[in-house]
Amino acid sequence: MTATLTTPRRRGVLAKRSVLPWLFLAPGLLLALVFKFLPMGKGIWLSFFDVRPFLGDKWVGLDNYTRVLTDHRFQDAIGHTLLLGLGQSLGAILVGFLLALLLEGQARSLKIMRTAVFLPVVTATAVVGEMWRLLYYPTSDGLINHGLSFLGLGPAQFLDNPDTALWATMVMAVWMLAPYNMVIILAGLAGVDRTLYEAAAMDGVSLWQRLRYVTLPAIRPALGIVLTLAAIRGLRVFTEVYVLTGGGPAGSTEVWMTRAYTLGFTRNDIGGASAASVVLLCVTLLLTVTVNYFRKRGDVR
Amino acid sequence: MGDRRRSRRLAATLTVAGLVFGTAACGSGSDSADSGGPNTLEVWTRSNPDAAATYDRVFAAFTKKTGIKIDYQPVVNFDQQLQSRASTKDLPDVMINDTALMGSYQSQGLLKPITPDTIAGHDQITDKTWSSTVGIDGKHYGIPYSRQAMTLMIRKDWLKKLGLDAPTTWQEMLRVAKAFATEDPDGDGKADTYGMVVPGSAQNGYAAWWGASYLWQGGARIIEPDGNGRYRPAMDSAAAVRTVTWLKDNLFCGAKNVVQPGALTAITANATNFQDGNAGMYLTGPYNITTFDATPGKDTYEVVAAPAGPAGSDVLADGENVYFGAKTGKAKQEQALAAFLISPEGQRIAMTSVDGHQPVVRIPVNSALDAAKVRDDSRWSVVQKAYEDTSQQFPNAPDFAPIKQDTADSLNAIFTYCGSDVASGLKELNDTLAGDLKDQDLLK
Repeated sequence: MTATLTTPRRRGVLAKRSVLPWLFLAPGLLLALVFKFLPMGKGIWLSFFDVRPFLGDKWVGLDNYTRVLTDHRFQDAIGHTLLLGLGQSLGAILVGFLLALLLEGQARSLKIMRTAVFLPVVTATAVVGEMWRLLYYPTSDGLINHGLSFLGLGPAQFLDNPDTALWATMVMAVWMLAPYNMVIILAGLAGVDRTLYEAAAMDGVSLWQRLRYVTLPAIRPALGIVLTLAAIRGLRVFTEVYVLTGGGPAGSTEVWMTRAYTLGFTRNDIGGASAASVVLLCVTLLLTVTVNYFRKRGDVR
Repeated sequence: MGDRRRSRRLAATLTVAGLVFGTAACGSGSDSADSGGPNTLEVWTRSNPDAAATYDRVFAAFTKKTGIKIDYQPVVNFDQQLQSRASTKDLPDVMINDTALMGSYQSQGLLKPITPDTIAGHDQITDKTWSSTVGIDGKHYGIPYSRQAMTLMIRKDWLKKLGLDAPTTWQEMLRVAKAFATEDPDGDGKADTYGMVVPGSAQNGYAAWWGASYLWQGGARIIEPDGNGRYRPAMDSAAAVRTVTWLKDNLFCGAKNVVQPGALTAITANATNFQDGNAGMYLTGPYNITTFDATPGKDTYEVVAAPAGPAGSDVLADGENVYFGAKTGKAKQEQALAAFLISPEGQRIAMTSVDGHQPVVRIPVNSALDAAKVRDDSRWSVVQKAYEDTSQQFPNAPDFAPIKQDTADSLNAIFTYCGSDVASGLKELNDTLAGDLKDQDLLK
């Protein structure tokens, strides 16, 4: 008798308790579902079709994949993507780390500096791109070339020279991404035990030794996060290239996603573009899992 | 514990299910435009708000005249939106968009074939203009609406200052460009002027769009019809090699500042040197006239025919067509709208600017009208003459988008590497174009 009385009441409470968090999550989940997961699923689905929205899609199996993977322009883009992704990720981590070391502290001037340094992150990439096009302007009217002219150099054709265009894009990407890493590393630095620094000072270590044996080990978790984010974001570069060079000159800055975009939207080959995107998704997934594996193994050790 | 987990899972499932139904409901609820009425046409144009204001006047006049209502949608990212509408199998009734897209749309089955005789006033459009809407199967798939041809915009104050005349040949053009670049035509004592503006990026096919006029003038073609409804790539011809070599050697790899700096990564949106007043020539479409009248100013420049190459002075012509969406079932109303759009009255409204808004018809397709007279601006007669006498469109029947993109990629690469071998670069392009045609089953 007592059992039959208590059970529904307990279940009622439980149900309420378990429904409530989901209700709070619902708006976010709804948005993620509609704008992320459904389109992603649809993209994977379309990659197996010759997409003809009006005439009806035609199943082509793995044709889109073989076409993308054997296309020589996609193959050229792999090298650019790897170089740009790796260069901008590592560059941004290094610069972010240096910025964090420089700007750590509580003084008001540092707070203002940190805010100023963080601004590129909250600026739209398209705007940043247009701004850097002006900075890189290939005559002495461009700010960077103006600076170079004081040193008796230039004017350099940053974006119009196929040998430098990719590097110029990389510099802009580092400028844009580094502050974000800085914030994460700053949080890591704030957690470093001060007494370790004092002990190190007592032992009379050099600056380099202090960085290598105290600071770096202490911010390992922060670096882990930064590396994971880099693995996720590194290879999907698109906007930077699209607004700065459009993949040119002579395809020297063409990356995987700009190629996929051209395929999908100027050549109307949605199936091929989907296949290319799925390939990138798989590679990114693999890369992220690998980075996480090494991070966890390091944590255990 | 297990019980609790189970009920949690149940709650999660219910929430997700609720979400899915919620979205489905939202999805079906939002599709309640007023285009459903039998006497209402849904019309799309690829227009920014400025041009849309002009279309608003055109459609208002049409509704007043015929009583047929228009649900007008100016769409900036037209093709992406159209693809998503196509996937719902419910297309807009009438679309106004670029001539060069006809082949692409037709191959996707988006268009209704058109019999010119069913459009009142069809005989006021010339045969040359009508011929530009013939599809791969010989049927018409569009109604010409607006046409334009490239002309040369040139700074007449600079010419006057340097004692030069507007160029009529490639050689003269090159001489003027060099003078503009080196002889300080703006008189500020600094070497900060450039000969001509070139949107030379491969992005969206710009290099091919700009380069087409020069190819025509050099006697080259990108692809050629074989007369049996098939095509062959023609970019390995001697004329093409000669033309591209001339452009590379003189404009991109020759004297400094003949073209504006950054030309190889410039698209029209950031090739603003003519507007900014530091470049003296720009071979471009007449839609820019409104912009250039504001800056650098109406009295500083003139509009002249493009300088002639070794094979003539043909320039690229393009424009907009009226397309009927497939399977929309409002043929009578659509034909009435098309008839109005091509009538002298409809064209005239679209050619005039009210409150400074951009006109949407450049050269009228209706042969009863004269662009210069309607606008009271003699410069437009230069454009109209160029279109009527010395212009050539991209072939309209095939899906030209991949062909244009591949041509642009190749031209951009040849212009970038000054040491490259033009003949082998174009041979490679020709093979790529053959592949594009083969994909469409159009290769001879």
